[in-house]
Amino acid sequence: MGESCDNFTDLNLSHCFMGTALYVRLLLYTRSNLDCGHELNHHRLSSQPLFNLSRPTAFVIHGYRPTGAPPIWIDHIVHLLAEQEDMNVIVVDWNKGAANLNYFTAVTNTREAAYNLTGFILTMQEEGASLTSVHLIGVSLGAHLAGFVGANLKGKIGRITGLDPAGPMFTSATPEERLDPSDAMFVDVLHTDMNSFGLTGAHGHIDFYANGGIDQPGCPKTIFAGKSYFVCDHQRSVFLFLCALNRTCSLTGYPCSSYSDFLEGRCLQCEAFKPASCPVLGYDVSQWKETLLQLGQTQVFFSTTATLPYRKLIYRVDMVTWNQYLRWGVVFIRLHSGRNFTEVRLDQKLLRFEQYTSTRLLAQFDDDLQQVQKISMRINTGNVIGPRYKIRLLRIRFTPLERPERPLMCRFDIILEENMEVAFRPLPCNSRL
Amino acid sequence: MDLEGVVTHGIPLQTFKTNGNDGASYSSHEQGGADDVDGAPHRNPDTTERQGLLPAQTPSCNGETVDHAAGAQNKLGNTYTPQKNSSVDRIKRELNEVVYRKVKLWMVILFIFLLIVAVIIISLYLCSVIYEDEDENFDRSLFTVPRSFNGSFQLPNLVFTEELSTHSSNESQTLAAHLQEKLAGLYRSSPALGRYFSEAEISAFRNGSFIADYQLTFVMPEDQQDQLRNVTLSREMVYNVFRQFLYDQEQPDESGQMYIDPVSLKMSLRH
Repeated sequence: MGESCDNFTDLNLSHCFMGTALYVRLLLYTRSNLDCGHELNHHRLSSQPLFNLSRPTAFVIHGYRPTGAPPIWIDHIVHLLAEQEDMNVIVVDWNKGAANLNYFTAVTNTREAAYNLTGFILTMQEEGASLTSVHLIGVSLGAHLAGFVGANLKGKIGRITGLDPAGPMFTSATPEERLDPSDAMFVDVLHTDMNSFGLTGAHGHIDFYANGGIDQPGCPKTIFAGKSYFVCDHQRSVFLFLCALNRTCSLTGYPCSSYSDFLEGRCLQCEAFKPASCPVLGYDVSQWKETLLQLGQTQVFFSTTATLPYRKLIYRVDMVTWNQYLRWGVVFIRLHSGRNFTEVRLDQKLLRFEQYTSTRLLAQFDDDLQQVQKISMRINTGNVIGPRYKIRLLRIRFTPLERPERPLMCRFDIILEENMEVAFRPLPCNSRL
Repeated sequence: MDLEGVVTHGIPLQTFKTNGNDGASYSSHEQGGADDVDGAPHRNPDTTERQGLLPAQTPSCNGETVDHAAGAQNKLGNTYTPQKNSSVDRIKRELNEVVYRKVKLWMVILFIFLLIVAVIIISLYLCSVIYEDEDENFDRSLFTVPRSFNGSFQLPNLVFTEELSTHSSNESQTLAAHLQEKLAGLYRSSPALGRYFSEAEISAFRNGSFIADYQLTFVMPEDQQDQLRNVTLSREMVYNVFRQFLYDQEQPDESGQMYIDPVSLKMSLRH
């Protein structure tokens, strides 16, 4: 409509070499101007008629920009946020300030950028906006920036979402020097790369740890992959959040003390959240806010696949054996539906099979098969030589988690001989006696 | 002639030079001395060296030895460095020592090694063959405590007749025998329940889309009866083994006369 759009500052490597001085631009997007941002005046808010202070406002804050290029996910997140609610989406463009070859300069600039943003939010408040309707979404260094803004406002803003808060320079930071739960009324954090660019630990009322929060599936393991070797794990936090906003992946986090405990199936209880389920990553995690505030800091875990829609199909598997003596082994399970099958190898840890005692494990399949027609299993007790042991099952039960409409599957009286694949047709468990 | 044998050959001269300066010559001398005890012919290189060092002292040395020595050195090749090779040589020599007639030491060592490997493999094999699965051992004579279940199932494809309701009729007896065989077969082949199974009995046929009443009897050992009651021989387990059998049959047999509807299966514990 004739108006010129204000775009995200595009810089190049030469700017990064020279270094950039901090300059914060605020680009407003609403449902009526999703593809055409309008730069806001920091002091005269009324000069932009589209900025409606009675609506909630989400600030999107990017992190360190080593190349100066605009983040590839900016348009995407703006569209998806606007889909959640009729709100003001403000992209905090501090590319001038974040684009420096020297990371430490960018870190220093976060403090100043935070003061700048704090001033703007205070102006909003003066003009009639409520602090509780403010939501800061910070990526990497932007997460700490959001935390500083929150701290400046004495934790009175509504929510801060931290997507893999930056680790370098923050590993030994005190809560005041980084994002922490006191920075907002509700702080949710997603961790994907705690061992390099992300920060280890728990920093929100709820901390989601994707695949344990360290290495993401599908990300290159060697430096030969080039740039993606460095950024893949860290960037996954943004992609997971986008996917969650899009509702293409519903990723449920299970409260647990560690990822390995989660993988062993020890943390599948969601009683604390009843009648709701366990918290689901994304914009709507605020539904769990009341419970989470009561619980204090909660750490939740989930696994993902390597690609969209990232979601895994999770079954809790319970087995009861009747072998007289204790046996140990690893299990391989395949679900078949017609010609398709999906496999899980539970070989990280030996399972303990004790007579008449239930052995529980967590089977996470990459593919979601609509109807399971056949299940095949194989065990390995780990002894290369010597006799072939048998695991004698009285009962095996597959409980689909997160899909309550699906039937529980059972099978009774099976003998699993070492390294021999046994296939069976599952029965519905609900036996009427 | 002896001198010629040494001089015309370049290599011995060189060794002579190097050996002359240090203790190496001494050691090779010593070895030569030690070797002399055995008197084996291939030790002649050392002998040559000694002779090279002391040509004047052994002028009467016969040409035969020297010739042989030169020949031996030729065989050894040009890479002859006395000090390093001497230990390798010694091992080689020792390994080639004749223990008994043509049997050399290395053969003995190799044989012992192979023997050990063979023993290990055989014992492992025996171990896995002899291995007894404790779970397959049981003593039926100890199974004395009975445990019974009764219940009913429907045979929707059979038509109820008056004859079938009378227990003594031929038709009824044949059908009952057939069904009893089926039940007994399925429980006997069950890995977990088979050993405890005692008998299956069809007690009656009833009208109402043809219902058959049955009774199952198991026997358990006295010492484990509490656990068995709760787990292996629980109503859930006995019922589900039957139900599973019926579900597996469902597909090929659905239209058959003897088709048992899995959903109609009922079972309760008899006290």
